[in-house]
Amino acid sequence: MNLVTSQPKVANKLKSTRMAGKLVNEYWDMVFRAKEEGKLVCWYEGSAINPFLEAADICWVHGEAYSAMLAARHQEGPAQQAAEERGYMKELCSYARTHLGCAVTNQRNRNDADTGVTNVPDDDDLAAKLPAPDMIISAYAYCSTGQQWDEMTSRLFGKKIPIFNVSIPWIWASKKDAGYIRGQEWDETSKYVERQLYDMVKFIEERTGKPYPWDRLRELMGNVKRASELRLEAMDMCTARPAPASFFDWVVSIAPINNLPAGPEIVEYFQAVRDEVAGRVAAGEGAVPREKYRLFFDGIMNWNKVGWLAEKFARYDAAVIAGRYTHMAFWQEPDLIDARDPVLGMGQNYLICPNNHSSPILVDLIMDLCRKYEVDGMVIHASRTCRAFTNPQFLIADAASKRLGIQTTMFEGDVTDESFYKDELVNSRVEAMLEAIDARRMAAA
Amino acid sequence: MGKDALLSQFHSVAADPLGYARDWKARNGGPVIGSFPMNFPGEMVHAAGALPMIIQEAQDQITVGHGLLFPFYCGFTRSTVDQAAKGDLAVLDAIMFGDHCVQLLGAADAVRVQLPETRVIFFQLISSMCDPWTFGRARETFLGLKVELEEFLDRPVDDDALRASIRLFNRNRQIIREIYELRTAGKTDLSASQMQDIVKSSMVMDKAEHTALLEQLLLEIQAGADQRRGLVRLHLSGHFCQAPKQEILDMIEECGAVVVGDDLYHGFRYISTDVNAEGDPLDGLARWYLDRNTGVPCPTRVQNDVDWDAFLIDAMKREEAHGMIVLMAKFCEPHMYYYPEVKEAFEKHNMPHLLIETEHESMALEGLKTRVETFLEIVKRQHAAKTAIPA
Repeated sequence: MNLVTSQPKVANKLKSTRMAGKLVNEYWDMVFRAKEEGKLVCWYEGSAINPFLEAADICWVHGEAYSAMLAARHQEGPAQQAAEERGYMKELCSYARTHLGCAVTNQRNRNDADTGVTNVPDDDDLAAKLPAPDMIISAYAYCSTGQQWDEMTSRLFGKKIPIFNVSIPWIWASKKDAGYIRGQEWDETSKYVERQLYDMVKFIEERTGKPYPWDRLRELMGNVKRASELRLEAMDMCTARPAPASFFDWVVSIAPINNLPAGPEIVEYFQAVRDEVAGRVAAGEGAVPREKYRLFFDGIMNWNKVGWLAEKFARYDAAVIAGRYTHMAFWQEPDLIDARDPVLGMGQNYLICPNNHSSPILVDLIMDLCRKYEVDGMVIHASRTCRAFTNPQFLIADAASKRLGIQTTMFEGDVTDESFYKDELVNSRVEAMLEAIDARRMAAA
Repeated sequence: MGKDALLSQFHSVAADPLGYARDWKARNGGPVIGSFPMNFPGEMVHAAGALPMIIQEAQDQITVGHGLLFPFYCGFTRSTVDQAAKGDLAVLDAIMFGDHCVQLLGAADAVRVQLPETRVIFFQLISSMCDPWTFGRARETFLGLKVELEEFLDRPVDDDALRASIRLFNRNRQIIREIYELRTAGKTDLSASQMQDIVKSSMVMDKAEHTALLEQLLLEIQAGADQRRGLVRLHLSGHFCQAPKQEILDMIEECGAVVVGDDLYHGFRYISTDVNAEGDPLDGLARWYLDRNTGVPCPTRVQNDVDWDAFLIDAMKREEAHGMIVLMAKFCEPHMYYYPEVKEAFEKHNMPHLLIETEHESMALEGLKTRVETFLEIVKRQHAAKTAIPA
């Protein structure tokens, strides 16, 4: 049964998030103009080191963000094909494959130019439009893919581009004092990352040939901190029934907090989102008009399917309220950031990637979110090529069932490779879960 | 003991590593400490009087492990979690892991949940190999590991004991390297599976016991000579954490090849590098960790000034190999990332290679055999063309 047809939309998306689309377009236009404007370009993945770069007037390209943008616009095909032609296999992280495909395309065009063949990419060819890097910084929490992806990018460009690695250890949390953002392991790891970030700043200074503008970084981090506080405040208001915003609204709001310019615009954006959410709470307006079920979404986003899934769940009267991806990441702990002296707090926020704590802590945090938002069930997106997210999912499902007594269901998909997504399976599994929730309610009544 | 009996003993241990661990424990009463691959300093555990063993992929079907890790994970991680869930790893008093691979991290998390009574010790080695702080961080990590081991075993690991263990492990590695040299030079007819048994049993057995057996084997094989002339000389590459299935190795050789070198983890990679036995042992271990990656580069590490593809080309020239078969464990991400570099370099140098993706579950050997036979024919023709005397 395909519930997503040409009928009127049911999902009541936040109106304020439309601004995100405009900000995203403006940002990528800035990236595409970077070389003409004489800017250095840095490619990076994972951790949001972009304020460090933005402060130094370096144009930043977040690999996942570009891949996600291509997938959301259904323009990921050429990049993924270019990667496949070079030998990158389909089971590799599709974020990486897509981004590496852009690097392959860039190098092909350069080589063609060397041989006298004119190969000017047309304006719609987003795989070819991405400007080549002048430097690469790798600062990836938890997932080994990030570091290897950056290394391969460097090799694709003939190892001619300077690369800097920041190592971000996993929090294993086996010591007696271990816990979420506390204990000896947390303190030592935080200091270790902080030291490397200061070395990264020296690397940036070497590239720009200028002293690092710390005041500018402080100013930007003040904006990030405020935007984060507003975002979390708005998320907290979604404990209301009906929930005023959905997981999918928070997915759309990732770019503004994660990789867009950290000017006053991001504060304005999240202020608008926060105000709209507050207005909806006051008016009793929900993200799903007839909220019957409240769900938690575990897993990374399937970027080809954001609107599709938002609509699908809304048609089931299911409000997907919170998720590991949205509610446990992206400057998630603003209180750790001291805008006057931001480096340690930035490093600590990098350590709070939603996967960078081992399962005892991670599972506890997820259970707390499920309790807070009073969910009836959990949808688990097993993203085929993102093992960072799939690693603990059986443990999470088990805990949800045993500790909270809620229903869970799993479906397979992927971050940017649509071929792993099977819509009929999603339908039947979600329907089965919702029926089980109904049956429990009837039994309890 | 004759050559066959020695090889049979290595094979028995390699085929049932946990069985060996149980026997060793019954004989010695000491603790057994398992480790995830691939950078585990077994010397430290040995110096503390315990048996270090590297956890191996089991050969049986994965069953309950399917409920803990998805099927799109490598065979090693799925099998390890499966063994933990079935209780097979109960013989281990502790498990240590410290690698970077995201699938290994997931497996370690699942293993810890399955074995609440087993101490799971984590030490994450820095995987970025040419930073100014790489050596210091590696040393710091080994120090942390030592402290935790001492606390767990309730005994100190003193420097003299550690240096003695390093010397013993070095001797073990040196003998296996000698055997490798004999094989490359065509002075022994050991098969690829037999070489794997030798290395894999070294990962499991008490090092002194294993070294004594190796000394005997060395004497035995030096008396013999390789009868296998006129075969295609191959280098085997890849397969990191888990051993390639022996039926694949046997099939490759039955098709008319002789393996003259490899960089498999259950092969030359494991024994490639010695630890400096003089001076501070932690310095020695940290240096060893770095040197291993320059000696035999590994795609699980990042090191911009070292090229695995260039290493492979040099190794093949040194071994006078005619072609290379790449064995890639399905879903092994580091290998998938690096493979295009290897492919491109081999194509550029006109050196033939064949990629075989391996799986934990049984594989269609007949289909693979056809591919290998075809590849060997191509290699033979290319080699004949290269060595033909111009008219």
